Amino acid sequence: MDFRFDIIAEYTPFLVKGTLLTIGLSIAGILIGTVLGLLIGLGKLVNNKLAAFPFNLYITFFRGTPLFVQILLVHFGVVPLFMGETNAIIAAIIALSLNAAAYIAEIFRAGIQSIDRGQMEAARSLGMNQRQAMRYVILPQAFKRMIPPLGNEFIVLIKESSLAAVITAPEIMYWGRAMAGQYYKVWEPYLTAALIYLILTISLSFLLNRLERRLNTG
Amino acid sequence: MIKIHNLKKSFGENEVLKDINLVINPQEVVVVIGPSGSGKSTLLRCINLLETITSGHILIEGKDITDKMNDINKMRAEVGMVFQQFNLFPHKTVIENIMLAPVKVRGIAEEPARRKGLELLRKVGLEEKALAYPDSLSGGQKQRVAIARALAMEPKIMLFDEPTSALDPEVVGEVLEVMKQLAREGMTMVVVTHEMGFAREVGDRVIFMDGGYIVEENEPKQLFENPHQERTQAFLSKVL
Ligand SMILES: Nc1ncnc2c1ncn2[C@@H]1O[C@H](COP(=O)(O)OP(=O)(O)OP(=O)(O)O)[C@@H](O)[C@H]1O
Ligand SMILES: [Mg+2]
Repeated sequence: MDFRFDIIAEYTPFLVKGTLLTIGLSIAGILIGTVLGLLIGLGKLVNNKLAAFPFNLYITFFRGTPLFVQILLVHFGVVPLFMGETNAIIAAIIALSLNAAAYIAEIFRAGIQSIDRGQMEAARSLGMNQRQAMRYVILPQAFKRMIPPLGNEFIVLIKESSLAAVITAPEIMYWGRAMAGQYYKVWEPYLTAALIYLILTISLSFLLNRLERRLNTG
Repeated sequence: MIKIHNLKKSFGENEVLKDINLVINPQEVVVVIGPSGSGKSTLLRCINLLETITSGHILIEGKDITDKMNDINKMRAEVGMVFQQFNLFPHKTVIENIMLAPVKVRGIAEEPARRKGLELLRKVGLEEKALAYPDSLSGGQKQRVAIARALAMEPKIMLFDEPTSALDPEVVGEVLEVMKQLAREGMTMVVVTHEMGFAREVGDRVIFMDGGYIVEENEPKQLFENPHQERTQAFLSKVL
């Protein structure tokens, strides 16, 4: 078996572009997913069962169905419905964000509920309203606890963004598959793709660990 | 002045406060004693609106705090509360703990709030801990910071729910000392405590609660030495 570095070299510019898109998809997914997830997580925390119902439904749907299915639904169903025609990158961002939001909502809920009840009571007894108590007392503490699970979710998102290849968003796996198709090779494209994903996820873990340590000493 | 009329509080089927009537006069120190589960904490939490009351009225300086028309947050800011578990904000320094509410709720500028905070810390003997985080303090120090934090809102009344119960015996005294000083300065206080020495020395009136009722109330000396009710006698014989 001869390992053809030359075809990897040939595909390097595409793989670089693909990596940038993977990073872009992941960052967009985590940013939008975090904002949405915070809102959904807060929605789920309201005491009124009826008001919390849609948020529960959302979380149940997106956690209970495969991301693969969600990407196809968004790409071939939701995006054409709103934009007339579909767009792979937009569809990938939407699907990844909606999916991440469901997981992040649960992370937020768990983070907020992990803060001792006494903190809210102390804040309220000092005259803060619900929003002030959340903003100045509960959320800053909860965010700190959310960093490890949020980091995990970010890593999951980077890996799962590879599913966008099936709707032809030109990220890492898209180019990997293109390479495999052109040369009828297996090891070169997929090992290269695996290596890039590894570099991305390991670098992110490293950054997250440092952030965590910094916050713990501060 | 605080007036409590026909206060009732239930958790589901469980009626925890059954018709509480109580008047707390300005500058008065009222000590609440009673067995576990008698409703002492619930009474304090109702006065501070941490629990929604089932029926009855609580008036602070003539304003009915249970009236939906009144701003619940404004009402709460008038009442300081000190908890058994301190409940300091662990992500903020001591001085930030104290300044937070005055700045965010009262809208006081940072500098005057800091000056006031340091003054309060001096009063509780912890000025040098201003920049420390709560985790680095002893229990007694935490509780003194919590008292300073509540005072920073300039409350009309201070509620203490077993402020020394979570403390090591050797630091109980330093917290009681701060509370005594507050009482001497004329702060209106309601104190739930098992510290009978404190009740005797500082209390103007002791209230004995049992089963959701105020069973008996009197001056400390009278209540401790000459309790009228059987239940009071039984309780006191266990704790004195
Ligand atoms: N949030 C709640 N939900 C349901 N029941 C409650 C709640 N808070 C208190 N109770 C019940 O109310 C009763 C009185 O509780 P409370 O905490 O007021 O008693 P306490 O006199 O402060 O007792 P302790 O000396 O143990 O602190 C108890 O039976 C308790 O189980
Ligand atoms: Mg209690």
